[in-house]
Amino acid sequence: MAQNMYDMLYILNPVLTEEQQKNEIERINAFITENGGSIIKVDTWGLQKLAYSIQKKRNGYYVNVYFNAPGDVIVRLKRLMEISDNHLRYLVLKFDAKMKRNYEKTSSTPTEEAQA
Amino acid sequence: MARRTEKNNTRTNTGLAPLNSNTPVTQPRQKRKNRLGEIEFVDYKNVELLQRFINDQGKLLPRRITGVTAKQQRAVVEAVKRARQMALLPYVADNLS
Repeated sequence: MAQNMYDMLYILNPVLTEEQQKNEIERINAFITENGGSIIKVDTWGLQKLAYSIQKKRNGYYVNVYFNAPGDVIVRLKRLMEISDNHLRYLVLKFDAKMKRNYEKTSSTPTEEAQA
Repeated sequence: MARRTEKNNTRTNTGLAPLNSNTPVTQPRQKRKNRLGEIEFVDYKNVELLQRFINDQGKLLPRRITGVTAKQQRAVVEAVKRARQMALLPYVADNLS
């Protein structure tokens, strides 16, 4: 199936313990790979201050995932994020030509490492 | 045109840093400067960059002040709005504290 490249950023509930956070990240990654996708890069920003409070929380645990997946996975992935109480926010973007060029330019070294 | 630069001069002192502090300011601040250069894509995750396009209240600055091309401004606007959704930038910032 045709694969697209995606960029997803989500905010995990800061109340979670470190282990729960790890499990949650793994759960999302597993969901993508099980449905025929593949993870390119997981970039955990860690606990950060939110620009405004969400659900009375001032901090959030940011996780940035780059992955390949067929388009129909995204709908289900979004649903998963909506249902989960562990996610405060999420944003999935499909890479277009401009984004890809920018991505290759800015992170040429890490992608090379990943391929090697 | 002269009117425009005059207007611009009064506005350039709003605490906007140049895109890259290493680049020497060659011109006396007369012409408005395109701080994005040739960039074609603005990443919403680049908060540091986006902060130059909003004022203290968190409002988007007009192109008259940012000095970027129309195309770039549209990209900036989109990026700022995305950043707001993800709580990277405020919708409303009251710097009263």
